Amino acid sequence: MKFFIISFKDFKVRISDKKGFISLLVMPIILTAILGSALSGMFSGNAFMPHTTVGVVVYSEDNLTRQFLDEVLQGEELKDTISLKTFDSEKSLKAEVKQQKVDVGLLIPLGWGNGLLTGEIRDLKVFADPGQELQSSIIESISTSFIESVTSVSISSRVFSTHLATTASTSAQQFDVEEASTDVTNQLAIIAGTNRQSVVMEEEGKPAISGMQYYSAAMGAMFVLFNATIGAKSIIQERTTETLARLMNGPIRRYSIILGKFLGTLYLSFLQFIVFITSTHFLFGVDWGNNLLQTVVIGLAYSVAVSGLAMIIAGLITEEKTADTVGGIGVQIFALLGGSMIPIAAFPGVLQQLANFTPNKWVLESLVEIMNGTTWNSLILPITILVLTGFVSLVLGSLRMKLR
Amino acid sequence: MLEVKNIKKSYGKMKIVDNVSFTIEKGESFGLLGPNGAGKSTTISMICGLIPYDQGEITISGNSVKKSPMAIKKKIGVVPQEIALYPTMSARDNLLFWGKLYGLSGSQASKRAAEVLEFVGLKDRAKGKIETFSGGMKRRINIGAALMHEPEVLIMDEPTVGIDPQSRNHILETVKKLNEKGITIIYTSHYMEEVEYLCNRVGIMDHGQIIALGTQLELCKRLGGGSIVQLTVENHTEQGVEAINILESVEKILPQEDGMVLDIFVQNPHGALGQIVTTAVNQGIRILSVNVQEPNLESLFLQLTGRSLRD
Repeated sequence: MKFFIISFKDFKVRISDKKGFISLLVMPIILTAILGSALSGMFSGNAFMPHTTVGVVVYSEDNLTRQFLDEVLQGEELKDTISLKTFDSEKSLKAEVKQQKVDVGLLIPLGWGNGLLTGEIRDLKVFADPGQELQSSIIESISTSFIESVTSVSISSRVFSTHLATTASTSAQQFDVEEASTDVTNQLAIIAGTNRQSVVMEEEGKPAISGMQYYSAAMGAMFVLFNATIGAKSIIQERTTETLARLMNGPIRRYSIILGKFLGTLYLSFLQFIVFITSTHFLFGVDWGNNLLQTVVIGLAYSVAVSGLAMIIAGLITEEKTADTVGGIGVQIFALLGGSMIPIAAFPGVLQQLANFTPNKWVLESLVEIMNGTTWNSLILPITILVLTGFVSLVLGSLRMKLR
Repeated sequence: MLEVKNIKKSYGKMKIVDNVSFTIEKGESFGLLGPNGAGKSTTISMICGLIPYDQGEITISGNSVKKSPMAIKKKIGVVPQEIALYPTMSARDNLLFWGKLYGLSGSQASKRAAEVLEFVGLKDRAKGKIETFSGGMKRRINIGAALMHEPEVLIMDEPTVGIDPQSRNHILETVKKLNEKGITIIYTSHYMEEVEYLCNRVGIMDHGQIIALGTQLELCKRLGGGSIVQLTVENHTEQGVEAINILESVEKILPQEDGMVLDIFVQNPHGALGQIVTTAVNQGIRILSVNVQEPNLESLFLQLTGRSLRD
């Protein structure tokens, strides 16, 4: 159990380095605050959509048109974000858009709603100011979504009606085709009108997390990764000052020394993770999800991976300065690839594949999932990958490690 | 107590330690002298079980270093040349750490740390961080760390490198006291005066071999009780050197590498001095200074190898 003595000594040495320890705790908190606030719009549905004034010219007076205007554009979800301004003519609407008095112009042609129901689709016209591309694309998306919903309902109800009519003609029973099809159409219309006319702003099936939540996880993952360099430097330093050689002089086996150094890094990484989670929760109100145990376990698995990487670096590098440079660059590359700077979804496919080789990608993804609420089953893969990364790195690093 | 028997160590074709043998009795203080690259550190590392030897055997109290390294390591304390301590930890914490690694319990380590701090004269600085200590104080704690488990054998690898004379004297006195307590000491150094002061017996190594072994008296007798007359000259010729060499009172003459110092081995320096100086002047050699060295390990090493210990 001599590795415990070595690991506790290492832990004590590192936390007594107040400057280093505080910077490892304070820096990620400051960065989280900056990134979380500045980029929060990328993650929150409401915040993503800026307030938009939509100018409309309405030539159509059917029910669907009213439903689109009153229940979609001015419905519960969007009424605070979208203001509608009605115009008499296309010309006046275009003029207002040009003068940037409205952000987006929308022209609803005569018979538009009925056209959708009968299948004679009539396109909406969207006029956009070149400076308001984001708003116009959102309005276009909302409109398209509504059109697709209504069209699919009308097509399916027509097909259903035809089918029923055919079936009824062969049946001995009396069957009111008109009534049945009206019922079905109404039912489908309710479903289509309520569920499908929103803009999806996050990944499929997952509720949105805030920017602060995302960057808390991202910064936590990145800064814990720095422990790989710190741990490696500690070993290299001990090799230089010959304290490692002195350890070898004692009645201590080589594996005990290596395991002790590994655990020393693990304790610090895990402590940093826990302190970071607690600080961001109480300082910024970050919601780390409802399952604290999942967060703790994933943090522990990540600390194992980071500690293993420290052993690899210490095994391959002999100079402290080189470890600093390589470690610094490595952490930045890992941070970038693993989504600590920009969400991975924004990367091209190749980079997304490469991200799988970074431990911070797995921890970040897992933390975000935990924030959304996830099962233990979905965490098995990342936990296994992280723990395996740690132990394989520990073994490889140990094989290469020179203690004297 | 400790027996080194015909050990050999090579790296590739390079022989680092070549058939070295010596024994050290319990309670003895043994000095291992030699210039850099002589093979001292490798020999010490093999005794400590850090480097495996290719041939031969090393035993401590009958236990083979190769077969039971852990048992051997518990019996020896090593004071490395470097300050192998944790600078941001206090003196006491450093001692506690090393003590626990050697199997002391918390209370045992605590009690022993207090004793060691007292012994090395740093009781008042127990809570001070190593990084705030002077070079001499660090060296004292460096020794203290090796004493925590009360070793039977203390191996000290040049423990006075780079410190002021006062701290050096303190350390030498500490080593002397440890030896008086019955601890067997193996002391390696460049400084022959330290070895002369501390050690009963001495082994001199050069090119991986023991070239002389014995008590100081025995070794000095190999010089025939003679001394060295050292002439520092402005110039000399081969003919002039030869003229001095054939003097009856001169045993041997060795010009040092820079050519400005002539080491002349004589039996009776007082009788020979006049003859040497007269001959030198007659041969046109301009003498800048004359120094007579009494027989010591340095002069023995010089005689055996033709080089100074610190070359």
